[in-house]
Amino acid sequence: MFTSKVLFVALAALGGALGIGFLGGKAAEATGRNPGAAGPILTLSIILAALIEGIFILSAFAVSL
Amino acid sequence: MGKLFTSISLLLATSGLASAAHQLTPESNVLVGSREGLAITNSMIMVWIATILIVLFCQAATKKMKMIPAGFQNFAEWIIESLYDFFGGILGDHLVKRTFWFFGGTFLLILITNWLGLVPGVGTLGIADSHGHVTFLLRGGNADLNMTAAMSVIFAILWFYWAFSENGSKGFFAHIFAPKGDFSGAMRIGMIGIFFLVGILEIVSIFIRPVALSFRLYGNVFGGEQTLESLMALGGKYFAFAPALPFMFIELLVGLVQALVFTLLSAVFLKLICDHGDHDEEH
Repeated sequence: MFTSKVLFVALAALGGALGIGFLGGKAAEATGRNPGAAGPILTLSIILAALIEGIFILSAFAVSL
Repeated sequence: MGKLFTSISLLLATSGLASAAHQLTPESNVLVGSREGLAITNSMIMVWIATILIVLFCQAATKKMKMIPAGFQNFAEWIIESLYDFFGGILGDHLVKRTFWFFGGTFLLILITNWLGLVPGVGTLGIADSHGHVTFLLRGGNADLNMTAAMSVIFAILWFYWAFSENGSKGFFAHIFAPKGDFSGAMRIGMIGIFFLVGILEIVSIFIRPVALSFRLYGNVFGGEQTLESLMALGGKYFAFAPALPFMFIELLVGLVQALVFTLLSAVFLKLICDHGDHDEEH
């Protein structure tokens, strides 16, 4: 049933999904533009994706208590 | 800021018993000992199995070492060398020599624990006592917050030790509070004030990092197990495996990525504090 907790997590999930979507898009573009730097781009995008997911998971757990 | 901090400390305090609304993944129940005192839980057994596997693998690989590596030794060397170069790229040659034992070891441990958690017997085999309460024998190692929190606390302690020994205590605080870039006269006083506040933020973020690290790993692995369990329930009596099958492969990838992320972020956090800005090895 619809409570503010559910909305809280839903918005956090939306934010996380958007963030990772933009990140993936930009990473693909950057690799396309400069295939030589694929390695560092991969490392950087994994770090940033982790930070984005971290926010979502923290908010999901902040709500679950 | 206050609300966030209290919510995080609240999170930590009660997270040990954080069971989601209706937890499908098997409880991390105690096999030996009591929950208050020293308890051996089914998740701990998984982590022990993972460590034993890694130790056996390393011993088998280094039994009769040859100059031209073959078989196990070659595979083990490939893993260790690629990990070493990978962290060398991030940390720089000097730091990686000191710290690789921790980063490489944590990576392998988290990876093996995550992948072991997907082996069929885990989380499904249990002993049902008289009134139908099943105590599961094995459960994913990282699906238990104690394990991930323990690893991130160990990292936090090591981070402080390495930061102090690399920068020296004066360098350590200078690194956090000192204004970056050189200013003169009035501008300088303004900058000192601003960078003092930046230092406070830096301190807060230093303490939030272990919390974030442990929750990210715990959340991903625990969430993955929840999805697998609920999908298995979806499949009905005979086709329980069907809906969960694709997610098994996703969990394999998530296990690898989360292991990589945990160690990569801790390496980056260490590099942030030990970076002296003298990028000699420009490649």
